[in-house]
Amino acid sequence: MNILIGTVLIGGAALWLWSYLPNSDWRRASYEASLDTFLFTAPRVLVALLGAGFFAELLPEDQVRGLLGSEAGLTAVVLAIALGPLTPGGAFVSFAIGAAALKAGAAPVAAIAYVTSWSLFSTTKIFAYELSFMGRQATLMRILVSLPVPFAIAGLAHFL
Amino acid sequence: MLSLKNIGADPPPLRKPRKVVDGSFLVLLVFTLAGGVAVAWTSGLDRTGVIVAEAFRFIAVLAPKIAAGIFIAATLPMLLPRDKVGRLIGRESGLRGLVVAAACGAALPGGPMMTFPLAAGLTAAGADLGATIAFVSGWSLLGLNRTLIWEFSFLPSDLVWTRYMLSLPAPVLLGLAARAVMQRRVA
Repeated sequence: MNILIGTVLIGGAALWLWSYLPNSDWRRASYEASLDTFLFTAPRVLVALLGAGFFAELLPEDQVRGLLGSEAGLTAVVLAIALGPLTPGGAFVSFAIGAAALKAGAAPVAAIAYVTSWSLFSTTKIFAYELSFMGRQATLMRILVSLPVPFAIAGLAHFL
Repeated sequence: MLSLKNIGADPPPLRKPRKVVDGSFLVLLVFTLAGGVAVAWTSGLDRTGVIVAEAFRFIAVLAPKIAAGIFIAATLPMLLPRDKVGRLIGRESGLRGLVVAAACGAALPGGPMMTFPLAAGLTAAGADLGATIAFVSGWSLLGLNRTLIWEFSFLPSDLVWTRYMLSLPAPVLLGLAARAVMQRRVA
């Protein structure tokens, strides 16, 4: 989804919510809570997006594609799962890499494992947004229970 | 849809401030600095500057979304009726609560800037960790918007179908797993 539509959607949701604040006391409390949340969230988003930019430079797309395409079998699946979280950028980047890896000869199971692992464990999402909004405990718990998922889905896909 | 509280007569709830600098922030800071040093080392200071400028431009484009997301995360829990949210997706909401949370996540059209503030708001308003995880996983694995717009345009459709169908039960199972872990921790 492009950034403009997203901004309009989320801005509209915020305005709609604002319209439910009954009086100036509530509005002030909402602004103060927003400021608290801003002080907590903004430094994390800033540092994480800078870090995402640096790591994207250190791990270029074509290298990821090469690794996924050249390997085969179980190694490729494990590698795909390991590379998922490291993929910088948004949904289209990971899908484009998955598609390119398929073209370069990667097994479909590896592409499924890669997309699943990226969906669940994208480090950009986790560091920039999840830790910033949800805190460490909830994030760790989600990661912990989700760890087997890419392996299970790849395993099931293999036997289909 | 939940109705919002009728609160004109009540005072607004008190807030609980959070520590701005904590362990996870320091870890993030160290990783980012290390990444910056590594880029400066391998690609030179000029390239590092370009990347920093790009990141700030991206943040400037994102800023309205971030601001709106922060407002939603802070305000939603003040307005949502805790008891109703708790009944719908709280600790005692059972399998139905997890299915509702996962379906809401899958239907949510936005990116992480929409999802995580909303998830944080729902948690503060009475959703339990299991439902929150089902919600975030529903969005991550089954997000309709992303699959329909992006995934089908890049990947072969049989592969997308296979992934989607195999992922279908995952958010609810993850919610159940989180609830089981939490229960053992309490017991």
